[in-house]
Amino acid sequence: MTEARTTLREHEGELVVESVTAVAADVVALSLTDPAGAALPPWTPGAHVDLIMGDELVRQYSLCGDPADARRIRIAVLREPNSRGGSVFVHEKLTPGTTVRVRGPRNHFALVGAPRYRFVAGGIGITPLLPMIAEADAAGADWTLLYGGRTRASMAFVDELARYGARVTLAPQDEVGLLDLDGLLGAPAAGTLVYCCGPEPLLAAVEARCASWPSGALHLERFAAKEAAAPAAGERAFELVLARSGLTLTVPPERTVFDVIQDAGVSILGSCHEGICGTCEQVVLEGDVDHRDSILSEDEQAANETMMVCVSRCRSDRLTLDL
Amino acid sequence: MTRVPVDCWYAVAFCSDVSDALLPVQAAGCSAVLYRTAAGSVAALDDCCIHRPYPLSLGSLARDVVRCGLCGFEYDATGRCVRVPTQPRVPVGAAVRAYPVREEHGLVWLWLGEPGRAVRHRVPSLPWLSDPSWASVSGALTVAASFLLLHESFADVTKIPVLAPEIAPDVLAAAPPPLDVVVSETTVALRRSFPAARLPSWQARALGAGADAPFEHDQYGEFASPAAWVDHWDVSGGGRVARMRFVQLVTPISAAESRLTWIVSRDFALDDDETGKHLAGMFESYYPRLAQALEITQTLQSQGRSGSVNVAADVAALKVREIVRALLAEELGR
Repeated sequence: MTEARTTLREHEGELVVESVTAVAADVVALSLTDPAGAALPPWTPGAHVDLIMGDELVRQYSLCGDPADARRIRIAVLREPNSRGGSVFVHEKLTPGTTVRVRGPRNHFALVGAPRYRFVAGGIGITPLLPMIAEADAAGADWTLLYGGRTRASMAFVDELARYGARVTLAPQDEVGLLDLDGLLGAPAAGTLVYCCGPEPLLAAVEARCASWPSGALHLERFAAKEAAAPAAGERAFELVLARSGLTLTVPPERTVFDVIQDAGVSILGSCHEGICGTCEQVVLEGDVDHRDSILSEDEQAANETMMVCVSRCRSDRLTLDL
Repeated sequence: MTRVPVDCWYAVAFCSDVSDALLPVQAAGCSAVLYRTAAGSVAALDDCCIHRPYPLSLGSLARDVVRCGLCGFEYDATGRCVRVPTQPRVPVGAAVRAYPVREEHGLVWLWLGEPGRAVRHRVPSLPWLSDPSWASVSGALTVAASFLLLHESFADVTKIPVLAPEIAPDVLAAAPPPLDVVVSETTVALRRSFPAARLPSWQARALGAGADAPFEHDQYGEFASPAAWVDHWDVSGGGRVARMRFVQLVTPISAAESRLTWIVSRDFALDDDETGKHLAGMFESYYPRLAQALEITQTLQSQGRSGSVNVAADVAALKVREIVRALLAEELGR
């Protein structure tokens, strides 16, 4: 009997742009639907999709619509002049009636149940927080949002947030200066989770203030990969053991763990290949992982239980994965 | 896994089963009593009197008001206590919990999580169940196995020819074709297409096809939510397509006990009683046999045995496990 090939991939489909709405200066919200009206996969707050705009042009965008709506998803995109082309493509090419390939959804910024939340958004970082806020509010949780932006006109979804009243603090930088993180976060409190999405300096500031919080309280999502330092001496090779597959392989300096796994014919998912989407996360059984992703928190990296095999490597001579 | 997902719409009854009689149901560690109000909607109340523990389902119903069969406390369809027998004043704020309910696809779905969050979650889409161009046979059984074991077995494409060779169509006995597994954040789907082969005799007869007429077979299975695994089984040949749908509604009762409701639908031979009877008989024997096997596995698992060797085709089941783990992690602390 010949062996049956099993392939594993993420949900992917061609969606049509139903509408494009300007939601702030340089920010458009896109509503995407299945051309045949089919139901789209369910998702939970914090989820994102890949927009596949070309072979080299794949970008992640958070879902910011209503998860109960099976007919459409909504994303919001800031036009960034210094972008690598993704946001400009969305703004210029994705007009109503055009189609785009969408992969996912997946979620590495999931909203964990808690009685109390502190949400911090910087600029377009409001997008994943929008459905989280709706969920927390529906659950009757105690929550507040501190939302900063350059100017009031640059801040998306201010109108949708108005219904929450005093729970939301808007902080346009040209009016009130930098965000009052100390005022929002205060002292660490049991049962309070912090969710933050925004530009790197904001994430770093929130990370620093939450250092004294209980482990697991802070949840961050980055737009772009952290600057991951390759060792000056160059990469080194190590042995890779795939425990469940019974394979022992070698990862040479110039190749990634992901590529070596895939070449060995083992089913594995991957998407961004730069350590920000979380698709390729694998369980680590043994090995001193050199974490270079932007998803796992410092605690999670130190726990050494999982790794993103697209970018992370191994400091010890052998890495064993539960694969 | 000792917890079961609570933030999920679970099917607990067929709409036609809910009347002005009190119907007790169980899901995700909760017990509820269902009944249909005079206005036609379904009420779902926590099945326990707040005076002294006693199931309301053992009481009586009159004009939409449930009366406890032990103490006589009375509750309206929103769960509010409206009368107590021994004093004119109703204890302030006295109420039993009322669960959000939906009637979709001919089924009653119950939400046991935070009530406000119910509207933000979907009921799996099963449109053929309420489509007159389909006919269905169904059954239900309680299985002493976890909801996850049930889903993992539905994800396992190898089990039917081994467990129940007499119901396996010929195509399953041949070399297995490639298996395509597609995942999203909370769903897992598998798909495979078989080269043309003859149909099982009951189906050839139902379709009026020759015993050896070649039909291509397409299988699609989906973990739609912790509440439902759905299989599609389509055959095409001689210029026609005949479709079957297998809905397996899984409702966890506790960590190691589940209610399985199965609905087998077809879009051919709708008025053919013989086909209906044959399918009912086939699956009334198959599902209990599957349940029995899973109960044995559950017992071995509880003794610390855990199958540790996986094959490539297990990837769908492993992904289901991963999704359930993530869903449970999101519910922590809630």
